[in-house]
Amino acid sequence: MLLAYTILQAHPEAIPLNPIARWEWVFPVVESIHICGFTLLVGTIVILDLRLLGLRLLRQSISQVARDLAPWIWTGIVLQLTTGPYLFSGDPYEYVQIAAFRTKMILLLLALIFHFTVIRMATAPSRDSAPLGWRRPAAVVSLGLWVSVMLAGMWIGNL
Amino acid sequence: MSLLSFCQWLSQTPLSIWLREAAYPFPVLLITHVISIALFGGMVVMGNLRVLGKAMRDVPVSQVIGQFRAWKWVAFAILLVSGTLVAMSDPMEYYSNVMWWISLGVLLVAGLNAAIFRYGVYRSVAAWDEAAIAPAGARRWAGVSLILWITMIFAGRAIAFF
Repeated sequence: MLLAYTILQAHPEAIPLNPIARWEWVFPVVESIHICGFTLLVGTIVILDLRLLGLRLLRQSISQVARDLAPWIWTGIVLQLTTGPYLFSGDPYEYVQIAAFRTKMILLLLALIFHFTVIRMATAPSRDSAPLGWRRPAAVVSLGLWVSVMLAGMWIGNL
Repeated sequence: MSLLSFCQWLSQTPLSIWLREAAYPFPVLLITHVISIALFGGMVVMGNLRVLGKAMRDVPVSQVIGQFRAWKWVAFAILLVSGTLVAMSDPMEYYSNVMWWISLGVLLVAGLNAAIFRYGVYRSVAAWDEAAIAPAGARRWAGVSLILWITMIFAGRAIAFF
């Protein structure tokens, strides 16, 4: 996102040449891919968090569920981090002024950091036989963060 | 009463007028609708990917599909209620929107596809529960479901474009 912004700031003449700014159908198509991406991401995160809460897939160990889901979580993240900045590139000066957009970026950063620190620790194989303990509230925080990212994201279009 | 005159009548009801004219109901409903699609679709898609042997191969098929059934039904109920209310906010607009009808059609086909899977090939799941990749008969339905879900999202997004 920052990279896209820096490039576009250095080359403002590039914006009108961008397909997303030239043809009105490009935006909904890329946005549809973005929605497919978050559907995938939500599906994987919900499964992981329900396991961490001790509600589902109890016959599988936490680390196994996390390992099984990892490629799809990565697919979702990569899909979102390509389509998202591209949607942004169509009208960057407009987006940075929208409060919902800035909120979303902060929440996204928090969600990603939380996922790759706390959730990574919570799903470590060495913790498989330990009681769930702090990992339950961690799962709730994870779910809350990702849902907030979505909420803020959808609100961008309504303001 | 024709469908058109039903929509005309519906759009004059107090609920429809309120949904259309008040500032908050519409965005809140739309956001609820999209989140429920992501929840419901996300869990369905993970089940499809498991049957296709592309995800969670260590977990038995019946676990990936069966354990999340209650959650899927809850998300589906929210999807249906929020979607109906969104449609009620402007029946005349959606009546003439081809993408709205396509979305509904694809949803019905996806439902039919899921039912055929569930009461057909899925009944023998015990035989291939632990298999990394399900038999071709099951994979076909999962692949169709995956394509239908992607189509539904594109068509749903396109409602606002047309």
